[in-house]
Amino acid sequence: MTTLIVDNGAGTAKAGFSTDPEPRIIPNCVTKAKNVRTRIFIGDQIDECKDLSSLYYLLPFQRGFLVNWEIEKQVWDRLFSKDVLQVDFNETRLILTEPFFNFPSIGEAINEVIFEEFQFHALHRTQAPTLTCYKHQKDKETSGSMFGTLVIDSGYSFSHIVPFYKNKPVKEAIVRVNVGGKVLTNHLKEVISYRQLMVMDETYVINQMKEDVCYVSTQFNKDMEIARKKYPENTISRDYILPDYTHIKRGYVRTQEESSKKSKGDEQMIRMNNERFAVPELLFQPADVGIPEMGISESIIHSLSLVDEELSPHLLNNTVLTGGNALLPGFQDRLQSDVRSMASDDFDVSVSMPGNPITFPWQAGCDLAADPSFPSLCVTRQEYEEHGHTICSNKFNV
Amino acid sequence: MMADKRESGRVKEVQATRVLDEAARRRRQRKALEALEQDNFSEDPHADLKMSKKAPKFEEVMDTSSGPGPKRKKKTKGDFKLRYRKNFAALLEEEHMMNREGPSYTSSCAPRSKLPERRFCAVCGFPSNYTCVQCGTRYCCVRCLGTHKDTRCLKWTA
Repeated sequence: MTTLIVDNGAGTAKAGFSTDPEPRIIPNCVTKAKNVRTRIFIGDQIDECKDLSSLYYLLPFQRGFLVNWEIEKQVWDRLFSKDVLQVDFNETRLILTEPFFNFPSIGEAINEVIFEEFQFHALHRTQAPTLTCYKHQKDKETSGSMFGTLVIDSGYSFSHIVPFYKNKPVKEAIVRVNVGGKVLTNHLKEVISYRQLMVMDETYVINQMKEDVCYVSTQFNKDMEIARKKYPENTISRDYILPDYTHIKRGYVRTQEESSKKSKGDEQMIRMNNERFAVPELLFQPADVGIPEMGISESIIHSLSLVDEELSPHLLNNTVLTGGNALLPGFQDRLQSDVRSMASDDFDVSVSMPGNPITFPWQAGCDLAADPSFPSLCVTRQEYEEHGHTICSNKFNV
Repeated sequence: MMADKRESGRVKEVQATRVLDEAARRRRQRKALEALEQDNFSEDPHADLKMSKKAPKFEEVMDTSSGPGPKRKKKTKGDFKLRYRKNFAALLEEEHMMNREGPSYTSSCAPRSKLPERRFCAVCGFPSNYTCVQCGTRYCCVRCLGTHKDTRCLKWTA
């Protein structure tokens, strides 16, 4: 019996067997390329595409929830096939993640697809932050009591603040900020298209540029002042050379010295100045673009106000960051300093980030698969056939 | 002739300028927020293509009304699509209808920020002190206002 872990994110699915050292990270979508009209690219097949300009995305997720099964089925078919994971369904247990407060009808659809279409041997449905909490506790177990853990998961569709009491999420205190990587990329696209160059169709390229040059500022107003200045006082401005997919296969940042000179060739360039930090700033102040919500830091404090008073010092002292946005330079420092300044002086604040915040929940799934109690968390196909969705909704804490 | 000349230029100008009302401004804002959730800006580039018929699609089983072939287990599959192919708005609606107690998708959304609102120039992105009289967009200097009026302001309002 093997265990397969699929952290099924709206941006990428992180998938692999519990015995694999690393998961495969595959785009959870079907892509069409403007310049390749003979085929479509399912999931990781996009690696075969040479020209990544003007990609058209078909996404199974809408606002973080799995709504388009036609697309998801194609991606999963490919993922489980002999070309990628070679899953022997009869002999495989599946750990699958879903968002908190997933809609019941989506949960039922998952059960049905996993058991009836694919015929997995058993299924355990959970959430990425729950897995994170499990591994975080286990890794730290020797160093003392783990009363509470606060998981900040900032992904593609949204960011969640999830307090845990021991291993259980405190559901009343979960807070969701509807800003994630998708909003950041879309906002960046919009801003660049208005100020410099039309890139509205270049989601892939601009997302890559975001990952290459954007950062979270820890001194927002000061950085704004610096960005106003001219070279060489302006230490923020960067020139980003866009790929043309003939000579330049990938976009890259030009060094500051080169930036001050005139562009040589006919390459296309975007000058990133205040955009570098004003775009990720939306995670911390969504109201900057009119999203009427608290940012992540403020939401943490809000969430703490909803948990038992005795729990909050433990949460503050034991905060973990996961999700792709945690990789933005400065993200961890910003949260640490924001929360420090907003939380009571009596408590210690410790915000930590695992080595790879994207794959950490998947790694946690591997640990969980090895846990002696794991089989009891699963629903087997036999049980599903006997009791239907009821047994799933009773067993899975969703 | 004389009467014409005496007319106030300022009053005339004010009358000539259209000012977006509150509803229109809100509509614009909502559109901007929707754009942030968009998957693609342009239409499907392959929309004019016919994909290979060989590959069976997930929805195909559902399509049982036409075709003389034998009826495959369409009931369960048809059911499946009916129950599960909902868009996000429909799911949310469904949840509201169920009206269950306890924490939910809706209740877990972060509330409004208590921090003061910050304002940025729509043109250059730096902090702004001024608001466009006509449409309410923020700007920071005369130059940016000029750009704004030439490009965005009332350009795309019907």
